[in-house]
Amino acid sequence: MNDMSKDKNIDIQIYNFAYLDENTKRMIRRALLKALCIPGYQVPFSSREMPMPYGWGTGGIQVTSACLIPKDVLKVIDQGADDTTNAVSIRKFFQKTANVAVTEKTSDASLIQTRHRIPETKLKEQQILVYQVPIPEPLRFLEPRETETRKMHALSEYGLMFVKLYEDIAKHGHIETAYAYPVKTNGNYVTDPSPIPKFDNPKMNNNPAIQLFGAGREQRIYAIPPYTNVKSLDFEDYPFEAMKANFKCSICGSSDSYLDEIIVSDDGKRSYICSDTDYCKEQTQLNSKEEDQ
Amino acid sequence: MENNYHFSEESINSSISFRSLVNATSYPGRHFQITKLKKPNILSNAAATILITLCDNESNVYLSKDFSTDEVKDWLIFNTGAIVSDKQNADFAVGDWESLLPLDEFKTGVPEYPERSATLIIEESNYKKIKCNINGPGIKDKLQIELPNPELFINNSHLYPLGLDFYFTNDLDILSIPRSTKISVTNSEY
Repeated sequence: MNDMSKDKNIDIQIYNFAYLDENTKRMIRRALLKALCIPGYQVPFSSREMPMPYGWGTGGIQVTSACLIPKDVLKVIDQGADDTTNAVSIRKFFQKTANVAVTEKTSDASLIQTRHRIPETKLKEQQILVYQVPIPEPLRFLEPRETETRKMHALSEYGLMFVKLYEDIAKHGHIETAYAYPVKTNGNYVTDPSPIPKFDNPKMNNNPAIQLFGAGREQRIYAIPPYTNVKSLDFEDYPFEAMKANFKCSICGSSDSYLDEIIVSDDGKRSYICSDTDYCKEQTQLNSKEEDQ
Repeated sequence: MENNYHFSEESINSSISFRSLVNATSYPGRHFQITKLKKPNILSNAAATILITLCDNESNVYLSKDFSTDEVKDWLIFNTGAIVSDKQNADFAVGDWESLLPLDEFKTGVPEYPERSATLIIEESNYKKIKCNINGPGIKDKLQIELPNPELFINNSHLYPLGLDFYFTNDLDILSIPRSTKISVTNSEY
């Protein structure tokens, strides 16, 4: 065992605070502030190569790196869970390069990096939620040319997106999109909420916390400031509906949190558990307290 | 900047400053504090912090008349490598309110790239302040603040999603009015 590796100070001297160099941070920081001034607009930035593959949150960690301060308490979740590979690796990365405190409790965290979920616990003012985004352009699968999608955003020309949702209704009787459900931010830009389940969409609206989005491979940063109107696209006669599996969590019994379906036996028996591990833990503790009384 | 200023501290100070900027930009109309640093006397701590945290050799900075001194230029170029530029090309502009007018010479972005617009840093001075109500992203319900020439801010917000973004700086204090903020004048005398 190398004695030097035990000394956290040495790690910090090897890396600049929170890994990225100052010039890169300046570039990301300028993009982040413009993103906050123009809610939902995707600001291009020159994304750096990070010590992890694309698709693992390279955009998210660049945003986190640019925002992190020494007294931050960091929480990292992947599909709502604190203990999955992606979450554990990113948490360790910032422990090593920024020496920040970490937590699994949503309410204790000052900065939360997330992949594909918004925590069930309500967020507070000045908390930052950093989303990892694979495809930041909501129109990309409808129009592959960047020059065209950019023009469509500039002209607020979103007819194509509504045609797509309409075709869903014509074919299936309802809007099929269940995750990455497009939203309109501050009445202007159609925005990709990252692949969160549409159950989470209403949480983006008028949230007191700061929501930042980083797409590393696609080189885009965007933001939803606090208390911003975020509306899921829909039709008057087919209003948006947040949706979840109609069961209770088999650990904590919660019926209002988003559930993961798991197969528990060889003959395909199913069970449902909370996707948000911190929320599930909290509910379980509350239940056992109530039983004690 | 203390004498013992070195790399890891620059990194930490810039991160703390940036966080104040994130908060100020996210919650327009509220006051946030920035820490002290060594800078030319004419610049406030807050204005100097914004420049040193955000500018690099890709940034065009416009210094309005009183601020366009050799001391400020030397300090800015030495610390950031920024380019001292004219109004039309400025990414950042620093000055007191009167000296930054007229605003329409600054770039407000283009429809495809609304972020290619100037950020104005307005230093505290004795301008006439008028009570305004503001609402919009980052503001819960509404707030009351005082602004100089509110009609110019109202015009700016009509350009949305194009437009200018403003920071008001006063010693350690910073307050932001981004283009997304909607302004209405409360005083009927105005």
